Amino acid sequence: MSVVIAAANLSKWYGNVLGLNDVTLELEEGITGLLGPNGAGKSTFMKLITGQMKPAIGTVTVRGRRVWNNPEIFQGLGFCPEHDVFYEDVTGWEFLTGLLRFYGYAKSEIAERAARALAVVDLTEDKDRLIRGYSRGMRQRIKFAQAIAHDPDILILDEPLSGLDPLGKRKLIRLIKEFKNQGRTVLVSSHVLPEIEALTTRIVLIHQGKILAQGDIPFIRELIEAHPHQISVRSSDPRALAARFVGDRSIQKMTFGPDGQTLVVETHKRDEFFGRLTGVVLEAGLEVEEISSPDDNLQSVFEYLVGK
Amino acid sequence: MTASQAVRQVFGFFGFLGRRTGKARVFALLGLMPVVLAVVVRIVFHSRTGPLASVFTEILMVFFLQFYIVILALFYGTSVTAEEVENRTLSYLITRPIPKPAVVLGKFAAYAALMFVLVAVSLGLSYFIMNAAHLADPALYLTFLRYLGVLGLGILAYGAFFTFLGTVLKRAIIVGLVFGFGWENVIQYFPGSTQRFSIVHYLKSLLPYAPEGRSAGKGVALLLFRLEPTSPLLSILALAAITAAFLALACWLFRIKEYLYEE
Repeated sequence: MSVVIAAANLSKWYGNVLGLNDVTLELEEGITGLLGPNGAGKSTFMKLITGQMKPAIGTVTVRGRRVWNNPEIFQGLGFCPEHDVFYEDVTGWEFLTGLLRFYGYAKSEIAERAARALAVVDLTEDKDRLIRGYSRGMRQRIKFAQAIAHDPDILILDEPLSGLDPLGKRKLIRLIKEFKNQGRTVLVSSHVLPEIEALTTRIVLIHQGKILAQGDIPFIRELIEAHPHQISVRSSDPRALAARFVGDRSIQKMTFGPDGQTLVVETHKRDEFFGRLTGVVLEAGLEVEEISSPDDNLQSVFEYLVGK
Repeated sequence: MTASQAVRQVFGFFGFLGRRTGKARVFALLGLMPVVLAVVVRIVFHSRTGPLASVFTEILMVFFLQFYIVILALFYGTSVTAEEVENRTLSYLITRPIPKPAVVLGKFAAYAALMFVLVAVSLGLSYFIMNAAHLADPALYLTFLRYLGVLGLGILAYGAFFTFLGTVLKRAIIVGLVFGFGWENVIQYFPGSTQRFSIVHYLKSLLPYAPEGRSAGKGVALLLFRLEPTSPLLSILALAAITAAFLALACWLFRIKEYLYEE
């Protein structure tokens, strides 16, 4: 497979704040997920590869062509911005046909492409309504439609699933996969792992402007598994519970919460611990009020990887 | 797509969008003010003709020249690039296969056309209502066309300057207000060559000293007070140069500048 988007030693500052730090990355055809918490640098990276920003250091190319101030690349590139913003006083149809004007198509082709894009995102019936009156899901879909209406072979989607209900997410995931099945390139960002998992197995992890890791889902899962998990168990007798786990090799550390009713366990083997916990609780006849995992989120995985 | 085609497409898009906005409705309402004034003047002074109509026509022109086109150009000019950044819609424009200067030029042209229509309708109605007693006089129409032409040139020159301000500054409206209603109002009354550092000086230099066959003296003095006029040809050249220079600067800046959305 050929390299579609290439970034070499890419860095970007916002004044004194580092937005992206020495990123070198090559993206090939298919779907690549850009995963990172809010403020990780995902949008900065996407703005750099869509020519909305100029790199402070390094280069970025799309199919070997420079991006900054090179409008020609947009003939084959579609971008779906993160923000929920539109020209609100136009209808969905006017929005699409208006933007399609910029590709030099004849009027009939503009109408044809707009109609096709609206049909793809199931908005044909609502095409004559003002965007101001669209629901959040419809707005996300019309935003996606403007990115695909000119039939690009590269699609850059910044948090496209954000704010969608489960049904809306499923629809959009299906559309993105269909797009990829036509042999095109998609870069999609998200801060939610399951969203990216539903789209692709190829993931780039980004945090604090740096690429932490890249690989397929099992590789990322391994990294997540290696991350020591905190599990908090609130019970009637946390000390008795702790006594039962003292000799357990799956546990690295145990502390008691400030309320005196909570045992906080740190373990690398979360599943093994949960397997034993049930048995121990039943054996000792303890009453468990709550089990939670305060750091079971992507942010803590990133923090762990950064520390590593 | 060539650059001129790109400009035409942007013009078409924003010409359409511009008509839909609340801003256009507000300015259209503002443009009704002189029309209402003209109707009132006609009703109150219906039996009087002569210098009175000219005096009120001069008052109308003060409104158009020193308020209406300035405020229109300020709000439309500064918004050519700034509103795209403030509304975060810039991404929709600069990720298209058109050169960035085409966005500035096309949108400027669309807004200039919109402003011209607003001014032409407002001036046309108020002027002909005010001068209804002389509708058979061909000179009336020539004067109207001259006024309209001057206001058109004013829209272009002020519009280009404010477009430049909007491209370079974050809070361009404030600087624009100081320029449009401070600098312009003061500098034009300075004697000698200082008055030539204002746009309004060249606009006023293009106005008739005494509209043919009608007012002389008082009415004219409202607009031409302390004016040491520049010749019409030089005035037109100066206004064209101001328009071209500030538009070129705006295009260049927009091409090289990065715009960050405020979080």
